[in-house]
Amino acid sequence: MLVYLKDIWRLAVRECRILLKNRIYGFCMVVFPLLVMFFFTSLLSEGQPQELPVGVVDHDNTSTTRALVQRLDGFQTSHVVAHFASVADARRAIQENQIYGFLYFPKGTTDKLLASRQPKISFYYTMTTLSAGSMVYKDLKTIASLGSAAVGQATLKARGATDEQIKALLQPIRLDLHQINNPWTNYNIYLSTMMVPGLMMLFMFLISAYSLGTELKFNTSKEWVAMADGNMFVAIIGKFLPQTVVFFTIVLCYEYYVFGHLGFPHPGGWLIIVLLAVLQVAASQGFGIFAFGLMPSLRMSMSICSLWAVLSFSMAGSAFPLMAMDGPLKALSWLFPLRHYFMIYQTCLFNGYPLYEAWFHLAALVAFTIMPWLVIGKIKNAMLTYVYIP
Amino acid sequence: MLKRAVESINDTCFIWRQELKQMFKDEGVIIFFIVVPLLYPLLYSWIYNNEVVHEVSVVVVDDCHTALSRKFIRQCDASPDVKVLCYAADIDEARSLVSRQLAKGVYVIPSDFETRLNRMEQATVTVYCDMSLMLAYKAVFQTAQTVTQLMGSEINIARSSHYTLREEQIAARPLDFEEVVIYNPSGGYGSSIIPAVLMLILQQTLVLGIGMLAGTSREENRYSNLIPFSRQYHGMFRIVSGKSLAYLMVYIPLAAYLALVVPWMFGFPAIGQWQPLLAIMIPYLLDCTFFGIVVSCMVHYRENVMLLMVFVSIPLLFLSGVSWPQTSIPGFWQGVSWLFPSTFGIRAYVRVNSMGCSLSDILFEYQILWVQTVVYFILACLVYRYQIHLTRQAVRDRVARMKAKS
Repeated sequence: MLVYLKDIWRLAVRECRILLKNRIYGFCMVVFPLLVMFFFTSLLSEGQPQELPVGVVDHDNTSTTRALVQRLDGFQTSHVVAHFASVADARRAIQENQIYGFLYFPKGTTDKLLASRQPKISFYYTMTTLSAGSMVYKDLKTIASLGSAAVGQATLKARGATDEQIKALLQPIRLDLHQINNPWTNYNIYLSTMMVPGLMMLFMFLISAYSLGTELKFNTSKEWVAMADGNMFVAIIGKFLPQTVVFFTIVLCYEYYVFGHLGFPHPGGWLIIVLLAVLQVAASQGFGIFAFGLMPSLRMSMSICSLWAVLSFSMAGSAFPLMAMDGPLKALSWLFPLRHYFMIYQTCLFNGYPLYEAWFHLAALVAFTIMPWLVIGKIKNAMLTYVYIP
Repeated sequence: MLKRAVESINDTCFIWRQELKQMFKDEGVIIFFIVVPLLYPLLYSWIYNNEVVHEVSVVVVDDCHTALSRKFIRQCDASPDVKVLCYAADIDEARSLVSRQLAKGVYVIPSDFETRLNRMEQATVTVYCDMSLMLAYKAVFQTAQTVTQLMGSEINIARSSHYTLREEQIAARPLDFEEVVIYNPSGGYGSSIIPAVLMLILQQTLVLGIGMLAGTSREENRYSNLIPFSRQYHGMFRIVSGKSLAYLMVYIPLAAYLALVVPWMFGFPAIGQWQPLLAIMIPYLLDCTFFGIVVSCMVHYRENVMLLMVFVSIPLLFLSGVSWPQTSIPGFWQGVSWLFPSTFGIRAYVRVNSMGCSLSDILFEYQILWVQTVVYFILACLVYRYQIHLTRQAVRDRVARMKAKS
């Protein structure tokens, strides 16, 4: 037992030297993951898109329509940037990327409104950028409905209704909305917590395959296996221990930054955070080593790792939910560690439900961790007999 | 003079052929140059092909049990976006169903729901949403909103004392409005994101492939220089154009496949005309090629390009302004995004392909693409000039050393 520990220690020291010597490790294990973390948290720091440019085509131009336009401008998510002479001009402005939508008042809107002849206004918006489109839609629709409400309110007031009665008459049923754990609809909380761990997992996949493959490439594989006395368990544990420590530290830095410093909701508590970090690192390294064992060539294993990792952002089912995808894709999603990470994160950490509700995903991540065991013989064979061809 | 021109054309063609040979010899490059651009778009299109989220499960806690509360539940269930999974006895039971991922939201109807409506007071429906999936949250919330508005106006009409149907309509909505979605009218997720992904795949695979080729030629070179010491590799212009011709030969059909065939196959928006499409694809392809050549000079081992370029894909997608609005991107990152061809390539392509823009609408992006093309071409030439210099230097050093020995 002690012999094994000694071997592991010697291998770990050797690995540390490799990590320090080759600059690419420093970049991929520390610099890039932290850069990605700052990228997403600063890109989305507004939380929700704000002051999105919208336009107005006002052929009526009365105090009523101007009041509605002013209200639209007053919304936090919309900003009236231009008035256009015609609908065609405004449409052109959408195509030129100046605005995301516009409100159109035909001539005579106010006259018809006062005469109870039900005028019709319209609003146009584009959904090519979904987040902007749905924000602008919400504001434009609110303004269009407010037009009716204002008329109703004025009529009711004139008849002597109290404020309470007006409220009940204009909106008989009210919604009491509870957006659990993200009452601000903050996109930073929603997106960064999946994108950043996903990109960190990408680096873990790639670096695991890379560090095994470079043993072959730089012709040090025999020395590596010899240092472990031919015991591949010892060889792999010794080699990956320093990487695990570095990755785990970086992941913890990220967790501290988003949950501690930025204060993202984490009702699951710090125990779950640490557990999730351990599983994330272990499962990703397991996957990377497995991919190399499956195809013991540097370029093939790294290609598989990068394609798999990029695909997992879609298969995690966070931006577009998995439940809306086709059946075979739902089954395939089990093969992506990020999917299981996301499920544990959202069930246990974000929503704070007990850990047993995500037992399956927990088991899946553990399975990814021990997957290299299946190909350990193949890795040994490759290390001792393969020759690197550029 | 003429002889020089002929020689330079000959050299260019030689390098072109060499590069093509290298390309097809290398399975790593084949993966990124051919397999990924052909298959990845199909996979992504399949993933997002359902476009919208329908029938999100919700649990109902009905403390009222009256005709009106049941009407609310029935109408929610009948809506396209929400499916009522079951009734729960209380909020705790509903919560446990949500925690098991069986439902994404809870509607709670209080016991005084109908009583309050009959008293002409404002009634409340409480909606709890699981916020882990934005699209599911929107379905749960917006359905409840639509149904309550509909029921509200029905109640108002019943209460009012109008004589004709027309009077009722006007009273319910004195100011009528129409909502018009003009581009991507279904609001589909795939239709919005796939055009951007296609252009990104084009850039990323091209850069990865070029980087791998450069890494290989460096590794195969005895002195780990980027360019071999042979007669044909003496002009920077010849090298850059020879190599670019080889890449373009493979990527022109691929670009046509990505820009035209994939959207057509999956029914994504494709309302662009061919003239502006062609006009933007030419500078975009050239831009990506020269950008790839510049990046490839930084690659010392062939695999490093994967470590450098793969992770950039996801941030680049965000910087293009397709998933996060362009106007909300902080200035610093806007600046960074100007370095990459994909930013403007995606913006121009999305607007031509999904919004049917003409060239004058995307003039700005089009001009920037050409500016980038010129800048990256000059940079590519300069880095190769430096490489030629390095190679010559190395040869001179070796000759000097051999002389000193003898």
